[in-house]
Amino acid sequence: MPMLDIKNLTLEIDTGTSRVKALDKVSLTVNSSEIRALVGESGSGKSLIVSAISGSLPSNWHITADRMSWQGQSLLSMSSAERREVMRRDIAVVFQHPISALDPSATLGEQLEESIPDEFVEGSWFWQRKQSRRSTAISTLHKVGIKQHQQYLSAYPHQISTDIGQKFMIAMALISQPKLLIADDPTRGMETTTKTQLLKLFTRLNQTKALAILFVSHDLLAIASMSHTMTVLYCGQTVESGNMKHLRKRPLHPYTKALLDSAPSFRNDLPPKSTLPTLPGTIPTLQHLPIGCRLGPRCPRAQRDCVITPVVRRIHDHNYSCHFPLHMEKL
Amino acid sequence: MIRYTTLFVLTLLVLAALSFSLAYLFPGDVLVNLTGITPQNDIQRSALIQQYRLDQPYIVQFAFYLQQLVTGNWGYSFISGLPLRNEVAIALPATIELSAYAMLIAVIVGVPLGCYAGLRSYSTADYAINTGSILSYSFPVFWLALVFILVFSLELGVAPLSGRVSLLFDVPHRTGFVLLDILLADGINRKLAFTDALHHLLLPTLSIALISTAAMIRLTRRSVIDVLNRPYITAARSRGLSKWQIFFRHILRNALLPILPLMAMQITTLITNAMIVETLFSWPGIGNWLIQAIYQRDYPALRIGMLAVSSVVITLTITIDLINRLIDPSREKFERATV
Repeated sequence: MPMLDIKNLTLEIDTGTSRVKALDKVSLTVNSSEIRALVGESGSGKSLIVSAISGSLPSNWHITADRMSWQGQSLLSMSSAERREVMRRDIAVVFQHPISALDPSATLGEQLEESIPDEFVEGSWFWQRKQSRRSTAISTLHKVGIKQHQQYLSAYPHQISTDIGQKFMIAMALISQPKLLIADDPTRGMETTTKTQLLKLFTRLNQTKALAILFVSHDLLAIASMSHTMTVLYCGQTVESGNMKHLRKRPLHPYTKALLDSAPSFRNDLPPKSTLPTLPGTIPTLQHLPIGCRLGPRCPRAQRDCVITPVVRRIHDHNYSCHFPLHMEKL
Repeated sequence: MIRYTTLFVLTLLVLAALSFSLAYLFPGDVLVNLTGITPQNDIQRSALIQQYRLDQPYIVQFAFYLQQLVTGNWGYSFISGLPLRNEVAIALPATIELSAYAMLIAVIVGVPLGCYAGLRSYSTADYAINTGSILSYSFPVFWLALVFILVFSLELGVAPLSGRVSLLFDVPHRTGFVLLDILLADGINRKLAFTDALHHLLLPTLSIALISTAAMIRLTRRSVIDVLNRPYITAARSRGLSKWQIFFRHILRNALLPILPLMAMQITTLITNAMIVETLFSWPGIGNWLIQAIYQRDYPALRIGMLAVSSVVITLTITIDLINRLIDPSREKFERATV
């Protein structure tokens, strides 16, 4: 049974006159101790899914889902106290912009220490508890690869660099020893060496602690090597999901193929001055969503049937939703 | 730090220059305006001119004026003939006392109410608090004070009409703050005097505090709503912190830091209102004193009164700004001062 199971999650936004479906029947599952990549262009609603799982959506957004459960308990029908308990102990989120996700008026040490659940704090007197908190914080920092804990624990968020901030966010997420880590584009804007460090850290955590990771990114190259399964999102619709190896080898949806093709390759037989294959156009805005399959206007294989939303089809554990998938050559 | 000191000294210098020029701008004799002493004959007159360097260039005159200000020789009142320094020393603490209590009430009542309204933003409670604050913010202070006098003093008789403390109590002047003076005084029934002084304080403080409280509520509410929409509050929620943890650790501090300078700006309004209310309640403060000076065309008193009040306002504003700079970790210590 998957740990996190989301089926047909729909998220609607009131624009005043009408309701726009920002997410349209998104399905996503994360099994225990797997790394799932959630991939899509900017604006495809990746961060919205993260917010919906962590329950931090504004109240005027409407969530409906056939199923949205955490280890068998429905997240949608939970009381806010139960939900808080799940977020405190089981699920941890690393947000996109680390510096703005840190309180500017508190030191990093304070913020890290307040995330420690009370069960992990030893000692009965407050000074013992304080010391225990501090040592837990320091050891977690060492784990995520920050060695100068003395310097950073007493620093304020505006004094640190983005990658240190990102590592702090990860430390904060890991300090409660969660079962699932949701990382929302953690490598954005990082230089390659730090990025590699971070990805290695994630892989190691996954292997040693059996931590399940939902890795949200648009950087296909970075996550292709480390993740086990992948879900591709386009404009609020799940396009294809399945095993990473199968998806890379044989994508069934035209969008997945385009996404894989658009990653720059460094093959030796690459002809000089060849163009990088990309899909024409850009992702549509929420005000101008196409009906049916939202890839329609940009899809090289689109036909008249594409104005009807395709149903999800399944081959083994490989799901795709397309009327004209790549293995049916009947154009 | 140095920048603030420079700013402070420069502003005070400009104020002193302004008050000095008033001696020339006011109608009448410059000598009389500056000193407050009306010379009886030509000999005395020329002696005074000599003494105040009025026969020398303006710069020298101003330098001498500054020296006099610093040494505490502020001239004499036209009307009473007393040294102005003593008169201000009696009147100014009364105003500061009144404003301080009003500010205290405004902060104690306004900040929690504002926080509550901000946390429950766009709910019925929020609308109720907002309506109340806008209503009380729109009352003109002189009208409100008169209504208070009419209702509470004349109709209900719960509070005295005017003054600072009943004449029955002979409170010696020590600090200038009536409550402190009563506590320090000997030979009177302190408890009775204290209650009496509190009764006297009630109406003027309330009428000033009402407007400042309303302003405080609105400032706090806005700031809390702003902070609530920040990503770090979302992040804190997603870490599973409780509501109270989030409020006290993350919301309160971040909401109050940016409104501290705005509170400092409220002080100006507060003191202006205090001066108006003093006149209505015959409170022996600087406002009342200045109004009397205006009626009696006591130019030296006006000159010094303006200088004293503006110095107090500037000192408070700069101090609060400085404190804000020191306690706000996200403002760099070497950031450029903006005026």
